[in-house]
Amino acid sequence: MWKIGDRLGGYEPGQFKHRFRMLFIIVSVALSLLVMRLWYLQVIKGDELRQRSENNSVRLRKIKPMRGLIMDEGRRVLVDNQPSYDIVFIPNRTKDIRKVIEKIRALYTERSLTFSTLTSPPDRVKPFVPVLLERNVSMEKLAVVETHALELPGVATEVTPVRQYLNGEMTAQLIGFTGEVSPEDMERDATGKLSPGDIIGKLGIEKFLDGHLRGKNGAEQVEVNVAGKAVRSLGRIPAELGDNVVLTIHSTLQEAAWTAIGDRAGAVVALDPRNGAVLALVSSPSFDPNLFNGGISFDDWENLSSDIRHPMENRSISGQYPPGSTYKPVIAAAALEEGLITPETTFFCNGAFEMGDRTFRCWQSKGHGNVNLHRAIVESCDVYFYNLGKLLGVDRIAYYARAFGLGAPSGIDLTQEKGGLIPTKQWKLSRLREPWQMGETISLAIGQGFNLVTPIQLANVYATLANGGTLYRPRLIKQLESSDGHVVKRYGPEKLGVLPVRPQTIALINKALWGAVNERGGTGYILKRKEQDVAGKTGTAQVIGLPQDEKARKKKRITADLRDHALFVGFAPYGNPEIVVAVILEHAGHGGSAAAPVARKVIDTYFALKKMTPTHEQAQSAAEIRGIAKP
Amino acid sequence: MIKLDRRLILNFDWTLFILVLIISGIGLLNIYSAGFSLTDFRQTPLYIKQFEWILIGLAGMAIAFFIDYRFLNRHAYIIYGISIVLLLVVFMAGYATRGSQRWIAVGGFTFQPSELVKLTIILALAKYFDRHQIGRSYHLTELFIPFTIVIIPFLFVLKQPDLGTALVFLILFLAMVFFVGLDWRSLLIAGAGGLILTPIGWYFLKDYQKERILTFFGPERDPLGSGYHIIQSMIAVGSGGVFGKGFLKGSQTQLKFLPEQQTDFVFSVFAEEWGFLGGVILVVLFFSLILWGLKIMIHSRDYPGALIAFGITMLIFWEVFINIGMVLGILPVVGIPLPFLSYGGSSMVILMTAIGVLLNISVRRFILQS
Repeated sequence: MWKIGDRLGGYEPGQFKHRFRMLFIIVSVALSLLVMRLWYLQVIKGDELRQRSENNSVRLRKIKPMRGLIMDEGRRVLVDNQPSYDIVFIPNRTKDIRKVIEKIRALYTERSLTFSTLTSPPDRVKPFVPVLLERNVSMEKLAVVETHALELPGVATEVTPVRQYLNGEMTAQLIGFTGEVSPEDMERDATGKLSPGDIIGKLGIEKFLDGHLRGKNGAEQVEVNVAGKAVRSLGRIPAELGDNVVLTIHSTLQEAAWTAIGDRAGAVVALDPRNGAVLALVSSPSFDPNLFNGGISFDDWENLSSDIRHPMENRSISGQYPPGSTYKPVIAAAALEEGLITPETTFFCNGAFEMGDRTFRCWQSKGHGNVNLHRAIVESCDVYFYNLGKLLGVDRIAYYARAFGLGAPSGIDLTQEKGGLIPTKQWKLSRLREPWQMGETISLAIGQGFNLVTPIQLANVYATLANGGTLYRPRLIKQLESSDGHVVKRYGPEKLGVLPVRPQTIALINKALWGAVNERGGTGYILKRKEQDVAGKTGTAQVIGLPQDEKARKKKRITADLRDHALFVGFAPYGNPEIVVAVILEHAGHGGSAAAPVARKVIDTYFALKKMTPTHEQAQSAAEIRGIAKP
Repeated sequence: MIKLDRRLILNFDWTLFILVLIISGIGLLNIYSAGFSLTDFRQTPLYIKQFEWILIGLAGMAIAFFIDYRFLNRHAYIIYGISIVLLLVVFMAGYATRGSQRWIAVGGFTFQPSELVKLTIILALAKYFDRHQIGRSYHLTELFIPFTIVIIPFLFVLKQPDLGTALVFLILFLAMVFFVGLDWRSLLIAGAGGLILTPIGWYFLKDYQKERILTFFGPERDPLGSGYHIIQSMIAVGSGGVFGKGFLKGSQTQLKFLPEQQTDFVFSVFAEEWGFLGGVILVVLFFSLILWGLKIMIHSRDYPGALIAFGITMLIFWEVFINIGMVLGILPVVGIPLPFLSYGGSSMVILMTAIGVLLNISVRRFILQS
């Protein structure tokens, strides 16, 4: 197969001998150069450099930047920084950590202080790797350690800025928390700006705006002695402070919502329908984000992450619930726009609706009689909407639901938002490999079945109705400011779309929503204020398919985690809406009795606040009236 | 092409194989020390990972050994093409860490195609110069295609950005051209062109790359930034003295004064702990490896074999020289790994495979003789 001379060209083995000689010289010279340099550094300058390395080593120390502040709409500080004085042990000559701890303990006891060790000290310490002994110590303890430095070899004090979450649980999921960068975070980071030991946002706004809040590491070149202690500074690049963030959140409203929920599980979202600004975003149960300051302890983490009530989940953006009757305005808009009904069209409700061999019940078992659109919304007649569902079909419902922003994440300035679910025939076929059943459309029409929405989406649906048909992106961030106070970036309203619904249709639905609160027989009557300015809709979402038989239904309702979710969504004031509130309470029973009072609390607080402080708009319109004589 | 010939075993080049094993073994010990004080106990220790890479590398070496290198030569362009496609994948959908997009992720592993390209460029150039033997020195115009072979991956890698690897491509090209012969006039023109292009190239460098080169000429101008690497590296090396501080006892290393101490600056860890003596032994080991590679080149039975052996040997030589030169502060800081010592899977596996090709050329001179 292979013959010498076959395609060998003129090649003779060994023809490169002369090349070898030259290459030998190049390689020898180059490598000798390296050896000479080694000789120079290690033998001639060896002692000098050894001195530099052993006695007073120059070390580059990272200066951690201070994260930006987070403020509410009225510039009230929600998240601050505090210095934390930590006591660390750097094993070098002394490796016995237990002995060191005993020594500190003894010194403390002399002054009747107690050593509060975080966890038991590690069994094995690695040379030169600092071990944290005590976090955030008092000035007294600091003084003790500093003055006894000679008796405590290897013990040093460190100052690090630590986050302080002033509102604790109330804003925990919204604002999030920070933590040390993990190897996974480093891998994911494409900016190349992270280095081990950096503190980054792990949840909520802290995570979403991490790039702005974090600031930039500084560096300091210090001489350190054998114990790793800084002796003097040789040069310094200061850290750059992170940007401050001003949120659209009103902390008073946030607090009102948080208090109103109490210890129940659920979420409250308040929006400004005129521009999509989020005024309150509450999720309950919650957790204390200050636990994460400077690293959460193992026990605390176990407790938090294994809690079956999922306190770290932000239910307002990632809790997915069936919308129940709060979905009815969407169905009504669809049916009117498709020309399937007029406002005067009536359906007869005798308390039940037959579809094939199935019976769908109205919540009012004795029936509503003849109902038109207005009464159907006011009294939340299920049978009326069963009829609309049958006329519309699933795909037309989905078209309008999507136009209202359902079925996809709203785009709020947070990570981990869920998109909910708006089913279509195609979806069911590809996902469940089953054809769509007409009966399922009937359930959809009253917000049951496959439908899933998040509280933020639901609030946005009503915000879109309230402002006459514009879908805005819900926004949490009002502006970013540099640490010296000038505005880096200001955020304005962002239009996502316009409803394919005529203004008169929206007006009709809004009027019915007003009726549901203010007319006798309305399901949200509990919210009726003396100003008669609230419009809204209650909802009760079944957690599982309950038996249609009334008796079995009552029996089953007893178990707590099978009880219905209670919902209310509404806006105020009716004529010129300024606030939308969506409330979902898990397993709390009926929307009118459980969720509506929470919404009422938020709305009342909003107007009480408004009365106290003239808003920007009022001031402006006052100026307009003074300046321009209106005809 | 895979024939299990008795002669493959009988004439196996044990010297080369054992040299590589010794150097990799030293590298493994050194990685153990470099990673010793890294705190993260949740992750697999670096030396275990490095050991796994060595094993995978040995598998690559075995494959490269058994496949006749003339088969590689015959399909050099296709192999080169595949490696370029991989670079393209990096460009389109690569995996970025620390601000540089160099990796592709394949089932949990990340792989750096630019390391593979170092080998495939050698194969492609060897094939080209074998096909186009003209019996005299080449003129500049006749080097258009080989230049294209190198400049395509060069630009891709420069864009990642990875100046060190791009530089290796260029060096391989120049070494191969000098080897096959370039006539004097062309050399003068190319040299002049290079001098003119240098300031233009400077314009295209990223700020951090300019910074490093400026720092090289005066490390003290930025002791907090890039100069810190060089200063700390030189302190580490120098403080090792004649006999070194001993295994796991390098305070510069263990105190983590050295950035990138397990990758590009791994030699300073070694020099600190093993001193001048250790350093010289390591350099001598590399010297032997390089000479042995050149010996294989001389004794190759055919032209492509000689060219490939030359290319691989030059790859090792220049990487060793530039890396150690950089650590010792006589060359600017560019990201070039130290063969068999730097931590990193792609470099280890590709170099082991390249050694497999060398073993292959070495053993087949006995087989092709008959």
